[in-house]
Amino acid sequence: MTWTCEQTEARLSDYLDGVLTGAEQTAFDAHVNACERCTPLVASVSHLLSGLHSMEQIEAPPRLVYSILDKTLGPRESGWRAVLGWVRGVASIRFAYGALSLAATLMIFVTASGFNWRHPKVADLQPVNIYRNADRQAHLVYARGTKFVNDLRVVSEIQSRMREDSGIPTTPESTVPEASPEKQPGRSDGSQPSSPKQQNRANDITRQLEVLAAEMPVFAGRLSGAAIARRVP
Amino acid sequence: MEQDAQLVQQCLQGDGSAWEDLVRRHSRRIFNICYRFTGNGTEAEDLSQEVFLRVYRTIGSYRSAHGGFATWMTSVTRNLLIDHYRRTKRDRITDSLDDAMPVVENKESSGRRPDEQLLLGELSSQVQSALTKLSPELREAVILRDLQQLEYAEIQRVLSVPEGTVKSRINRGRIELARILQQMGVRPS
Repeated sequence: MTWTCEQTEARLSDYLDGVLTGAEQTAFDAHVNACERCTPLVASVSHLLSGLHSMEQIEAPPRLVYSILDKTLGPRESGWRAVLGWVRGVASIRFAYGALSLAATLMIFVTASGFNWRHPKVADLQPVNIYRNADRQAHLVYARGTKFVNDLRVVSEIQSRMREDSGIPTTPESTVPEASPEKQPGRSDGSQPSSPKQQNRANDITRQLEVLAAEMPVFAGRLSGAAIARRVP
Repeated sequence: MEQDAQLVQQCLQGDGSAWEDLVRRHSRRIFNICYRFTGNGTEAEDLSQEVFLRVYRTIGSYRSAHGGFATWMTSVTRNLLIDHYRRTKRDRITDSLDDAMPVVENKESSGRRPDEQLLLGELSSQVQSALTKLSPELREAVILRDLQQLEYAEIQRVLSVPEGTVKSRINRGRIELARILQQMGVRPS
């Protein structure tokens, strides 16, 4: 393959990029090695390319970004205007909801720790007082809860006893053991209590039921006189 | 590239911080193209601002089907640089006449900041000087290929010319630049 100076010049970038075919590469090399005009040309362009590729990116002036933003988005605010701008930025509905829920949570915690909102004292915010008040509140809540559970148990017991008396079968979920309507208190075999001690126990339970029924009007109506009279000897 | 497309979408929805991100991501690259083309820091800064201003106004016309956002931005930059070159052609002719007069002035340092002199090495400085002597069409081709490392297809999109023309311009630009450097007394080591 014959190679000319014009071809060398025209295909120089292809040669430098390494995209010449094997035959072209051989012809190119043979011509350049023999040509006085092309040898310095290839050397100088190769040198130039290494120089171009070694040129690093220059840092842009720091003010460039701010100048561009000023020209496009408008001048940036400073000082109290910037603070106002920040406030305007956070004054969204989403932020308001977040702030409201945070405030409500804080209020619940502070109230639970025994802080008096009507007569607020700085001393109430001391860690020792907060701990003491929180401990007291926790015990109070526990005591109230225990009392409530006990009350529920008593009511449940009364209901089951009333069902026993009126012949309504108790539900399987009932915590009170199911008893036969014919059964009398004091005996498990259905016979009348024989001893005075057993008779007294039966009478005592009946009296307690009467007192509870009187205190709770809801159940008072259901406790028929006949049912109670059956218990009273 | 994906991130650019996402930021552009956010910009179109009026998100100022997305625009700020785009400016921060591309300002250095655009400044470099402008600087390599003009060889003047102050002009490059002004032109970079103009590029971003134009991009900000016309960002709605950008279509991802026409290539990446960076390529589109480079295309905007190139058009603006050519406009600037044509606009200042008369001034440059006047300047060259003034240069011909016996005025005691260092031509190398005119219009260049002292920190730029530090940033550029000796060869880089000589190459930069030679670049400004190159015709604009060859100059832009060499800058995009050898300084911005763009692919031929990207350059083709930026310059809106066939790939054969792109390759031809790059080749001629390199040879011309090497000759200018030789004339300046720069010899390969």
